[in-house]
Amino acid sequence: MPQLNPTWFISQFFWLCICFFCMLFLMSKVFIPKIKDILDQRQRKIDDYLVKAHQIKEQAEESLQKYNDALAKASADANAALELSRKEMNEFIVKKQNELTQKLNDKLAQGEAQIKETREKAVKDLKNVSQKWALDIVAKLELNEINADDIKDGIKKVVNN
Amino acid sequence: MSNPMEQFNIQPIIPLKAGGYDISFTNSSLFMVLAVVVSSLIFAFCLRKRTIVPSLSQSVPEAIYEFVAGLLKENAGAEALRYFPFIFTLFLFVAFGNLLGLFPYSFTFTSHVAAVGGLSLLALLFNICIGIHKKKWGYLRTFMPRGIPAALAPLIVPIEMISFLSKPFSLTVRLVANMTVGHIMLKIIAGFVLGLGIGGIVPLVFNGCIVVFEIFIALLQAFIYTVLSCIYLSDAIHSH
Repeated sequence: MPQLNPTWFISQFFWLCICFFCMLFLMSKVFIPKIKDILDQRQRKIDDYLVKAHQIKEQAEESLQKYNDALAKASADANAALELSRKEMNEFIVKKQNELTQKLNDKLAQGEAQIKETREKAVKDLKNVSQKWALDIVAKLELNEINADDIKDGIKKVVNN
Repeated sequence: MSNPMEQFNIQPIIPLKAGGYDISFTNSSLFMVLAVVVSSLIFAFCLRKRTIVPSLSQSVPEAIYEFVAGLLKENAGAEALRYFPFIFTLFLFVAFGNLLGLFPYSFTFTSHVAAVGGLSLLALLFNICIGIHKKKWGYLRTFMPRGIPAALAPLIVPIEMISFLSKPFSLTVRLVANMTVGHIMLKIIAGFVLGLGIGGIVPLVFNGCIVVFEIFIALLQAFIYTVLSCIYLSDAIHSH
């Protein structure tokens, strides 16, 4: 087998060392740094993008939080305004109701007073007319034992009943 | 039919002598140089324009880089990443040596014991240097693990030494055997193509399939060689 022929062992080993160390030099000083450099650049870029993505995500979450806060505040403000309006309206309604009730009571009292006055006047007129008619009747019938005071008392009794 | 072992013959191209040793530039040396040149040219071409979003050609060296880095990290831990250039070069050297050998009339230096053995020896020396650098004299514990009674030292130390020295041997034999067998098979079947005339189409198609399979084997063997080197490196960093 030519592989086992020792004639070329030293030559092969010598050239192997030269070639291998040349290749090692080229790879370690030229090509590996180039590849490493571009891989590092790519990794940095990816890391930057990841950091940016993380920041954007945080910003988005912050914005969402702000939006939710604003929404909650607006909702609370709206509820407060609604409650205030409802309260004011209730107060207004109660006030108006009270005013109306007062007005009605006043009207009622006024009416009752008028009725009372009219009634009293009617009773008084009735008394006078009755007394006059009774005196006229007594005078026509010549009932002298009945005087004006008796008639007045009698009518008073009748009307009061 | 020509001898299928002929393809493994080493032919001197530029005869050289140094200190009484023959260090001639041979066809094996030529393909070692080609492995360096071709891999460097491919890397230089693929990395000529580097962009954050990689092009198809840029993805190739990046994928190899990440693949080997992943292997090293998985088998030897993140601490071993400082030795990444050595493992990366080892992988590329073996992979390109295997792949270049698949071209017709080429030479597979990874089918030679001296070349692969030398590479395994370099890897072993590298591991020893790292071990000594990290643990100083404690590295000798590799041959006498903690918890073993001192009385067993005469038995354990030789066993551990044999185990330690068999690592480059097993690496070498595995790769050499795979490459040699694959190329012998290709050569034998290729011999039938001309011999069978029109019927040679059958071995030709079969040889095409074998070549595809051999490409897979070439990469797989480079992968296995690298994984085992990573494991041996891990032993040097973390052992006992």
